[in-house]
Amino acid sequence: MTSRELVVASLELRAPSRAPRQLWTLPWAERVWPAELAAIRRSYPDDIVTCPAFLRQPLRTSGQEYEPGLFVDEWGCRFENRQAGIIGQVKDPLIKEWADLDAIRVPRERLSVDLGRVDDFCGRSREFVLAKTWARPFELLQFIRGSENLYVDLVERPEGLFLLIETIHAFFKEEMELWASTEVDALVFADDWGGQGTLLVAPDLWREIFKPLYRDYIEIAHRHGKYAFMHSDGHIAAILPDLVEIGLDALNAQLFAMDIEAIGERFAGRLTFWGEVDRQWLLPYGTPSEIAAAVRRVWRALWRAGGAVAQCEFGIGARPENVAAVFGAWDDLTRGGL
Amino acid sequence: MLKEMQDALIAGKKPEVESLVEQALDAGTPAGTILNEGLIPGMARLGVQFKNNEVFIPEVLVAARAMNAGLAKLEPHLAKAGVKPRGVVVIGTVKGDLHDIGKNLVAMMLRGNGYKIVDLGVDVAPERYVEAARANGAGVIALSALLTTTMVQMRAVVEAVEKAGLGVPVVIGGAPVTREYAGQIRAQGYAPDAASAVEEIGRIVAV
Repeated sequence: MTSRELVVASLELRAPSRAPRQLWTLPWAERVWPAELAAIRRSYPDDIVTCPAFLRQPLRTSGQEYEPGLFVDEWGCRFENRQAGIIGQVKDPLIKEWADLDAIRVPRERLSVDLGRVDDFCGRSREFVLAKTWARPFELLQFIRGSENLYVDLVERPEGLFLLIETIHAFFKEEMELWASTEVDALVFADDWGGQGTLLVAPDLWREIFKPLYRDYIEIAHRHGKYAFMHSDGHIAAILPDLVEIGLDALNAQLFAMDIEAIGERFAGRLTFWGEVDRQWLLPYGTPSEIAAAVRRVWRALWRAGGAVAQCEFGIGARPENVAAVFGAWDDLTRGGL
Repeated sequence: MLKEMQDALIAGKKPEVESLVEQALDAGTPAGTILNEGLIPGMARLGVQFKNNEVFIPEVLVAARAMNAGLAKLEPHLAKAGVKPRGVVVIGTVKGDLHDIGKNLVAMMLRGNGYKIVDLGVDVAPERYVEAARANGAGVIALSALLTTTMVQMRAVVEAVEKAGLGVPVVIGGAPVTREYAGQIRAQGYAPDAASAVEEIGRIVAV
């Protein structure tokens, strides 16, 4: 099986010859563990890759996203950072008052994708290719408005909030449509919806305001014959039924923040779990044998002749031997399509 | 009227809370009574709802704004009446960490429960906690961290507090933090969420 076939077989529960893999890295890992990271990549090459953006026009950003100091993203959001290797925090939101709504600059440059180069990349790739979309309406709203202001807006419902959502969502849909017209295999979107023990907002509020946005992204993907992949950190068990209902194909979530067995009972075989392994405690502080036990737990709960991707993040603090152990354990458990 | 005040606070109705505080003062209700039987029980009820996942961060923030508005009306009267806060809490996000929503929620809920808050903000060096605790006569130092890498700064704060001989208990919280970790670094308290932080600090202050 090629890498792409492995991923598709896992998404469709057709017993791939092993669990497909994908390693996520933060620049921190490349900085601190370059040789170890390279060795992991050699031993366990990714089956899923992200297509480069291939933009004809450069994004209007300034500063370095993962370096200490100030980074201004393509929307004009200003991130302050104190630590190399991770992204910073917005401390000075763009829209402090709704009269500032015009301060938003929609980054049309992101739509200047060279579609021919994308298709060429996909055609040459044996891996499953994700679009360079990363629609994240909730996160972007927080960056633009400031987190606390946004949370209050969600209760008080000012008109400006909905105008802003409409602007952002229209752009993300346009970007999704553009990428869906290419040969990529899946569209991707993301938003961190969970705190450590529960959803950040009331599930009903999420259903009313945000679920329709994700439904639109998934509809675009499926209309074009693409899979829909989502990332969402935190305890998001309350919205898993909704994500399944609107047709999400694969979800990258912090499984270890939730009850993995309960999730498996309800959703194994209905949603592909695109990772992961606990990056808060196990990857930085655990041992390879604890990692192997954790992977076995995920496999037992979620694997149904597919339905999972061996994925983890080599992020800040993670030990390289633990990251390697994630992929070794998945290989041991699933080789031969068991 | 005090029950009505609690309900308005929980619903985040800021103008209503302000108006009810004014009405209660005009009716001759002592400022301490308004605080202890109106606003604080309102925040306490909200804390329980938050812990039980009946309300979420947006509702807590809106209620906290209503609480602050009510407190602003009340504070001059509390000062005149000599009503003291339940305690002083120095709070901040540890060095290297810029995340502050969790810390702000804890600060708001503590303020709403009658504590004086000295908020040092984010990226706070250990010695600043010590200085602020000493300068303000703090009963508790509360530390927040979101990142696994910055969480280790909590140990440095505990050690700085011990070295300074302050004897002020340290309470920690934040996504990667656990009670076990609190034990490892000799922090006296741990809270997994903002409502629990109020309970934990209440327990420590009572001791």
